[in-house]
Amino acid sequence: MTDADPQPEDHQDATLLVAIAAGDEQAFVDLYARRQADVFRFAFAMGRSKSLAQDVTQEVFLNVLENAARFDTAKGSARGWLFGCARHVILDRLRLERRWTDALPELVVEHDGDAKLLTEQRVGRLHAALTRLPVEYREVLVFCDIEEWTYAATAAVLDCPIGTVRSRLHRGRALLATLLVEGEAGARAAPTPVESGVLQTREVCS
Amino acid sequence: MSSIEKDPHEPDLAPLRAALKAMPMPAVDEAALRRVFRERRRADTGGAGATARKRTIKYWALAAAVSSLAVGGVVGLVRMTEQRAAAPPIAAAPPSAVAAFQPLWYSPQVVPGAAYSVVRVRIPLSSLALLPDATADGMIEADLLVGEDGLARGIRFNGPGALLVSKASQ
Repeated sequence: MTDADPQPEDHQDATLLVAIAAGDEQAFVDLYARRQADVFRFAFAMGRSKSLAQDVTQEVFLNVLENAARFDTAKGSARGWLFGCARHVILDRLRLERRWTDALPELVVEHDGDAKLLTEQRVGRLHAALTRLPVEYREVLVFCDIEEWTYAATAAVLDCPIGTVRSRLHRGRALLATLLVEGEAGARAAPTPVESGVLQTREVCS
Repeated sequence: MSSIEKDPHEPDLAPLRAALKAMPMPAVDEAALRRVFRERRRADTGGAGATARKRTIKYWALAAAVSSLAVGGVVGLVRMTEQRAAAPPIAAAPPSAVAAFQPLWYSPQVVPGAAYSVVRVRIPLSSLALLPDATADGMIEADLLVGEDGLARGIRFNGPGALLVSKASQ
């Protein structure tokens, strides 16, 4: 479990953001090198598409270029600010592209044995089920269970109370378990209530 | 800590977490980063004209969508109240291009002397999703400037007149 504000790491990120706002080109390159993988992984976890994750990563860092001056250490951590930006970009993209699900198991790569194949299939099923969750549950699961952020850090990025994070996490895990069971049973002929609920996603944290 | 309260019957995302962390990341193209940074800085320090140029495509789309909805509403109101056969002055307006091509964020720059194609597209207003609960039925017309490599370099939204023609033709 990691915190969204690990002091030394975040202090470096904050310093880089301030430098970017002041026009420091090297700081931009450094921040990109430090956080590109994190942003890409977050976007991929949310959307299950490498091309989408690449686009989102680019857009996030373009936003950094434009908005670095708005970062305020008094209002939160640098990593929280960066992921808050990433979250908005990915949600916008998901809305625009209607990419609520993605049937392609992009994580499945070459396999050389049954055990590896089973693991890959399991990962593929997990990710597919995750991306079928309503976005408000999905993002909490990604932050808490994939990125291993604390509830407090997740709540800060989502701008909602910690209790909301807890309840969404609980419901999200339960829904994910249901989807996995349904997937194993092959019950995927008709859209589930969860799938139709995805389209009703809206910000409920405010 | 999320793992403390986790029910043992709930799905374990550890394999997915491990797979994601083991994913190969795209290489960092430092030269491209520096180029983007300098271009953005140049745009930021280029005066009032540059400030206007740095407005994103979203603002163009928003402005076009708002104008199409507003003009469409006015035309509808006029038609309802006056019911005149000679009503088509706006709909008959030619769909002239009213704006220059706006550069797209992530595409290569337009190079003088290179060959480009202009592709006209129609985009559902509802897909823009820039307005709260946008459910407009109309289409927005835009011209894409496409290079020989197939990548779009710029976009030009057609004017309100074109939008009405597009909307009326549905």
